[in-house]
Amino acid sequence: MRRVLVALSVIPFAVIHAQGMAPVDQYRMDRAAEIALAKSAAPAAISEDADVLVMGAAGYETAVKGKNGFVCVVERGWATDYGNPDFWNPQVRSPFCYNALGARSVLADYLARTRQALSGMSEAKMEAAKPPLKLENGAMAYMLSKDGYLGGDVKGPWHPHVMVFMPHMSAASLGANVEHSPAVVNDSPTSRITVFVIPVARWSDGTADSAP
Amino acid sequence: MKITVVGITIAALLPAPVWAQGTANPYPSMAPVEQYRMDRAAEIALAKSAAPASISDSAEILVMGTAGYETAVKGKNGFVCAVGRSWANDFDNPDFWNPKARSPVCVNAAAARSFLPYYLTRTKWVLAGMTVVKMQAATQPVKPEAGAMVYMLSKEGYLGDNVKGPWHPHLMFVYPRTPDGAWGANAPGSPVEEYDGPSALVTLFLVRVSHWSDGSPDSAP
Repeated sequence: MRRVLVALSVIPFAVIHAQGMAPVDQYRMDRAAEIALAKSAAPAAISEDADVLVMGAAGYETAVKGKNGFVCVVERGWATDYGNPDFWNPQVRSPFCYNALGARSVLADYLARTRQALSGMSEAKMEAAKPPLKLENGAMAYMLSKDGYLGGDVKGPWHPHVMVFMPHMSAASLGANVEHSPAVVNDSPTSRITVFVIPVARWSDGTADSAP
Repeated sequence: MKITVVGITIAALLPAPVWAQGTANPYPSMAPVEQYRMDRAAEIALAKSAAPASISDSAEILVMGTAGYETAVKGKNGFVCAVGRSWANDFDNPDFWNPKARSPVCVNAAAARSFLPYYLTRTKWVLAGMTVVKMQAATQPVKPEAGAMVYMLSKEGYLGDNVKGPWHPHLMFVYPRTPDGAWGANAPGSPVEEYDGPSALVTLFLVRVSHWSDGSPDSAP
């Protein structure tokens, strides 16, 4: 499998860019379409009972109340790390379903960042104001939607994958990013957490990934 | 794949006790110890096959000696590879004494420090002739470190009579006991499976992947 570090949430790229936010309407979605896309991040057996968030004028709002602790959401470009060329890319639509541990820690960080973005804060000010990320052990997320657009590098949904969030660890300590390893990990020393990405065989609708 | 409750295991793939189907357990007690042994070179090769060579070529390799596991190859990347035997399973698992079981694992340093020792200790007990009852009584809680994980990508293993082979290539993430449902594991369509049981000390989350350690695809991912 091609080892591409996609523009996944909190995966940084050391690329400088100077573009600012596009007109906010370019980041919005039709509400029903956003709910459907968010839910497509996980199998229906999980997402049908999950909270579903949609992006409102000032931040994300709960559109569907769940009961299993999972939270599904379509993240925008600013989910990538500061300095990523896709940070303000209005095409980015990254569907996630977080478990409760991930929702309380990793997703909470993204939701705060979204409020900053929608209030007009610059990328530099957002970075300066970023709070500590209090990761909970066992935080994870599903990214099994084949309808997402994760960034300009992959121009689509990449591969279906599971993400496990860990305290910052090197890729080498996890056996990631080496030949024939199924794991992809960002190894940036500036990353606040490690995102362990595991490509899997099938999308959330049960269809096979065409190029696993 | 519907998962029935199994015990803690490095092998981890041993559901549905045969007993539940009214059949006698074929492995009620320990077989002659020779049946659990392997040729040393074959054991090293099988242990290393748990992870891609890019990991296992620099890993420490353990082999089972007369009193417990011994270091056969000194490593330098923090990973430890070994071939687990049947007593890695939970005590009430019908394969607990199955002499055919060979479960290749490569654990990262976090798991080598915090998860593997339970199995290495149990192996010493087994080889010393300790009874299951005494082993149960002496078992201490496992406290896995954050980031503890295991590669099980060998296509040469035999994880138990239920799968009669290596099952599928997968990664395992080791956590303290975690409530059911926390990862959406075992739900229809989920690529994650969860294992814990009545006497389990940790929760294992398994994520199936598409390729074996040699890069060949799983025939039925």
